[in-house]
Amino acid sequence: MQRDVGSFPLAPALRVKLIATGFRTVETILEFSAVELSKEAGISNEEALEVLQIVKGEAQSSSSCQIIQKHTAFDLLGQEQSQGFVITFCSALDEILGGGIPVAKITEICGVPGVGKTQLCMQLAVDVQIPECFGGVAGETVFIDTECSFRLERLMDIANACVQHCNLIAQGHQDKDHIKAMQTFTLNEILSQIYYFSCHDYIELLAQINLLPDFLSSHPKVKLVVIDSIAFPFRHSFEDLSLRTRLLNGFGQQLISLAHNCNLAVVLTNQMTTKIGPSDSKLVPALGESWGHASTIRLILHWKSKQRFVTLCKSPSQKKATVPYGITSQGFRDAEIAEPEANALIPASNPRKRPRVDDDV
Amino acid sequence: MDWDQLEVSPRIIAAVKKANIKSAGNILTLSVPELQKLANLSVADVHHLQRAVSAVLRKNLGVTALQIYSEKAKFPAQHQKLSLGCKVLDNFLRGGIPLVGITEIAGESSAGKTQIGLQLCLCVQYPVEYGGLASGAVYICTEDAFPSKRLQQLIKSQHKLRSDVPTEVIKNIRFGDSIFVEHTADVDTLTECITKKVPVLLLRGSIRLVIIDSIAALFRCEFAAKDAAIKAKHLQTLGAKLHSMSSRFLTPVLCINQVTDRVREMNSEQIDLGLQDKKVVPALGISWSNQLLMRVMVARTQHIAPAEHAGGILRTMEVVFAPHIPQSSCYYTVDLEGVKGLDDYTQS
Repeated sequence: MQRDVGSFPLAPALRVKLIATGFRTVETILEFSAVELSKEAGISNEEALEVLQIVKGEAQSSSSCQIIQKHTAFDLLGQEQSQGFVITFCSALDEILGGGIPVAKITEICGVPGVGKTQLCMQLAVDVQIPECFGGVAGETVFIDTECSFRLERLMDIANACVQHCNLIAQGHQDKDHIKAMQTFTLNEILSQIYYFSCHDYIELLAQINLLPDFLSSHPKVKLVVIDSIAFPFRHSFEDLSLRTRLLNGFGQQLISLAHNCNLAVVLTNQMTTKIGPSDSKLVPALGESWGHASTIRLILHWKSKQRFVTLCKSPSQKKATVPYGITSQGFRDAEIAEPEANALIPASNPRKRPRVDDDV
Repeated sequence: MDWDQLEVSPRIIAAVKKANIKSAGNILTLSVPELQKLANLSVADVHHLQRAVSAVLRKNLGVTALQIYSEKAKFPAQHQKLSLGCKVLDNFLRGGIPLVGITEIAGESSAGKTQIGLQLCLCVQYPVEYGGLASGAVYICTEDAFPSKRLQQLIKSQHKLRSDVPTEVIKNIRFGDSIFVEHTADVDTLTECITKKVPVLLLRGSIRLVIIDSIAALFRCEFAAKDAAIKAKHLQTLGAKLHSMSSRFLTPVLCINQVTDRVREMNSEQIDLGLQDKKVVPALGISWSNQLLMRVMVARTQHIAPAEHAGGILRTMEVVFAPHIPQSSCYYTVDLEGVKGLDDYTQS
């Protein structure tokens, strides 16, 4: 293998010494033992050992990487179709998303305060746990809270309503699978599968994300990571906005690789800010233009004369659409009284899904 | 930070010390190539170091929601609330003001904002079993002198208002002694007050409630329309400071806000915080709204309350947003004894 020594992730000082001694390619290094290498290049024994480890390890991993990365588009399609969705309990929103919040992707929820971002997050934290026989993904949730807006009492409202809903389905079907699944789908079970972290500033948030891979490998059932909100810690105490941009980009990269490697859905919330243009001003998601690329799917929640609407702004597979939704005592739901014009926007509802009117019992 | 507690090889620690990196934050915010260059480490070392620093920073591993639910003593922020001293209003707000986060009360002048603030100053001093936090309050005035007379009046009639509390308990609390009043006239003094004076009181445990009356007064007079961006930045910084103080000391922060007339704009649909039918909206715009946990609006109506409620002017209290309460409203009155909610008086 004719790989250049300079291309390995070695400490700069070591690299310089090795190259100066004449080690230009990997092969030349691999011929030596650690002791010989240390004598030859004038580095300590420890350092030499490390160099050999890195060079050998890298050589192996690079060859194994190539095997994994080969996928045909057909394989990828199959993979994507086999991955589930986290339903939102608002059938109109599920419809425009093509089934729900997709797994292995980043979804960003933007909106003005009070429009229901946190409500949707808590709803998803519960919904991801719906057993597979009910069409859920039966996963666990990591909830990272930066605004301290996580309210347990509200979460319990939503969880109770969800359990009740599934109970009604189970009673209606009298199916063995359903009844068995319901035995473990209880309020306590739901609460015990939501892992809550609270972060107070961006340093803590960065640290938390650094640790997430370890946490996820010990909790393989986690299917949803919620960060509510990404904007709050990053919108103050930054004198240097280029630092913020860099950190946010790195942050986005980490989340994308998390979503891919652990096959889970990542949901972020973002605030809105006023963008002052030459003639008029309008509301746009915060954190700047470049952050707009970080998420795969972007939803904007907004008000329109006393009715809440959600707009799908960015999606690789679905077209832009706006549908109404509502927030009831049970959680995030379809809009109850939809205006006639808004009704026309809702595509024919999926026959697979049960109507959700029976919740109100 | 003390680098020696890191779980990495001594060689890496030595390199960090040599590179003269002081804080853990630096390790996490510097990019990998920068760290490599600074400390002369390999990429693997840098990753290792960042992971180790993160582990030290985030010692508290996550808790499950079930743990929060069952271990009530360990997570008071999720189980305890500050009562308003009135059963009806407490029920309306699902127990009262949340301990962590900024709560805003907005309304026109004379809607009763200050009255609610004063009543909270007294309520916070009751023991926990009576909805208080057994501690004092700091009241930061920015627009008007502190209404001491009214406070004395309220203190005298506490035994009438709080008939649920035994008289001995009320007698034992020296209400006037643990309300700290601060007057600030500009944003800088307010910032200094919040960053220096208030934390001292909080650390001593003499207060568990911070009230700012009002937040709008300072910002509305100090910044002209063209300074909107600077104003927004100040508001964000202030919000962040209040927020971190609130979560560190489990102390509710109540901000009283003024309202502004709604101006019909061309694209008013977009800038709409769910207040479509209102003639007035809370002041300070979206950059301030983003800092809040919960927003309550109060207003006076034209009507007189029914006679059994002492017949004051009928006022409304409306939750505009809160993570745990739907948009809803209720009636209340202000009389000699204080603020009282109206129970069975449905909206008509």
